[in-house]
Amino acid sequence: MTDVLKRPPVAVSSATPVRRRRRRVNVRAVVLYGLLLPGGLLFASVFVYAVLSALKPADEVLSTHWWPSRFVWSNFTLPFTTVPFARYYLNSVVVGVAVTLLNVVTCTLAAYSFSKFSYRGRTLLYLIVLATMMIPLEVIYVPLYALVFKLHWVNSFAGLIVPAGTSAFGILLMRQSINGLPDEVLDAARLDGAGEMRILWRIVAPMMTAPMSALALVVFMTTWDSHLWPLLVGSDDGHKTLPVGLAAMQADNAGATGIPMLVAAAVMAVLPTLLLFCFLQKRFVEGITMSAGIQ
Amino acid sequence: MTTLNVRASAHRKIIGAVFAVPALALFGLFAVYPMVRVFYISLFDYDLTSPPHWVGFANYGFLWHSEQFHQSLEATGFYLLFTYVPAVLLALLLALGLDTKLPGSGFIRLLYFAPVAMSWVAISVIWRLLFQPDGLLNQVLGTHTPWLTSAKSAEWALVIASVWKETGLFLILFLAGLSRIPRELREAASLDGAGAFRSFRYITLPLLKPMTAVVCVMAVIRGCQSFSPQVVLTGGSFKTQVVNLYVYKTAFENARMGRASAVAVLLFFALLMVTMLQLRLFRSGER
Repeated sequence: MTDVLKRPPVAVSSATPVRRRRRRVNVRAVVLYGLLLPGGLLFASVFVYAVLSALKPADEVLSTHWWPSRFVWSNFTLPFTTVPFARYYLNSVVVGVAVTLLNVVTCTLAAYSFSKFSYRGRTLLYLIVLATMMIPLEVIYVPLYALVFKLHWVNSFAGLIVPAGTSAFGILLMRQSINGLPDEVLDAARLDGAGEMRILWRIVAPMMTAPMSALALVVFMTTWDSHLWPLLVGSDDGHKTLPVGLAAMQADNAGATGIPMLVAAAVMAVLPTLLLFCFLQKRFVEGITMSAGIQ
Repeated sequence: MTTLNVRASAHRKIIGAVFAVPALALFGLFAVYPMVRVFYISLFDYDLTSPPHWVGFANYGFLWHSEQFHQSLEATGFYLLFTYVPAVLLALLLALGLDTKLPGSGFIRLLYFAPVAMSWVAISVIWRLLFQPDGLLNQVLGTHTPWLTSAKSAEWALVIASVWKETGLFLILFLAGLSRIPRELREAASLDGAGAFRSFRYITLPLLKPMTAVVCVMAVIRGCQSFSPQVVLTGGSFKTQVVNLYVYKTAFENARMGRASAVAVLLFFALLMVTMLQLRLFRSGER
């Protein structure tokens, strides 16, 4: 009897939160699987539809059927035979890799300098770097083009690569990480007689691979996407990158017959960054978040 | 011993300063110098090949009366408002739902993130297919809208494609913002009997404010920079010639470098003001 009298209060106080939490979990699951999953599939269906369209015969590309009646794999080879698509691809890879390497090197060096050395003018220089973040390419590209024109860098890889060779956000991103590096480690190496270059190469760089790769991914993705600047300084066939080449192909193939080939070219153009993103999602998210947080 | 130390530290200072030289040289030549030049060139009539001709503020005067420039401001305003407000709100809602560790949530996130990793030109080529008069979008909606070739719908076509492309980016940022809010805080609120909406309004939203400020500044800047979807989808016709495309055409199709620079200067001040205003609004709200 006493047991029965005692039980209810205990049971109530312990059961309510449990029940509430379970209900919350269920609501979350319903929202996730019932709403967000279909929504996500709808989002992704655009790309799936593009891939399927790229495999269709030209006369089916506007039909209501998603599935091709036969797979026309030649749509994927046509860009290579009708336009120098391999060249555009190679150019994009060369420019993307070069800009990325340059950024990682210049940003790491500058960040290390601003973080671990004291010299006159350091703060002022750092503030100037911060201020350049307020200067988007869209504001300065007219005089920048005039400068590159005078340097005879129009239609050259130098023009495509060098002006994009460093970034303020990269310096800030690297600086945040290098700030966390204890000075004692560097001083100990100096006492052992290591030179500054050796310390940078053997101690700083190996400890900074995580922020370096986050920076590299963001820079590579941005460069791969870049359209306006390559259009200005790399408009001949030898220097067109994928975005410039694709936009030109689009302009030349207004009719429906060219659509499957164009879409195939677009699908091939997004694959490298899309695959990188899928496999290195965590690093990408880190890089994007850090670069945004800095701005 | 002390002289050796002093010499060593002076040596170290020089080397340290030298490390910053490559980045500073690139900034000086390719950012600071053009930034100064853009103000200067905006006061000239300049076609790149013949010597610049001083015109004072005539370029700004021209813009004041230019119908085309006003239309480009309208196009940018429309694009900014109807692309980035929905994209940011949608991203916030999705983030609240996806901020969970339930099985499969990583895969579902990836579905929304994917457009972030695709280049603008490529996704514009893909969307061009969907916007064809007999294309997928009209079939699904049961309409016959000439999406890309009418002044009524072209700007909406750009909005649809861009919301699809941009939502994932803001979703990434909001999810990062949410992951920084201690879970105990929200759980404590729900134990206190706060409903889902109240806990969102009074706990999540205020704590998400710094990230929201970042997202809003980023949205405005990205909106003003838009170029590729307009080039590929409409070529700037049908009320879609945004400011950046207007600058490009003025400078490189009409060889009016001075006039284009004047627009760039105005764009710079507009972006500066918006950034300052937004950061101030969000900061004052924090107190």
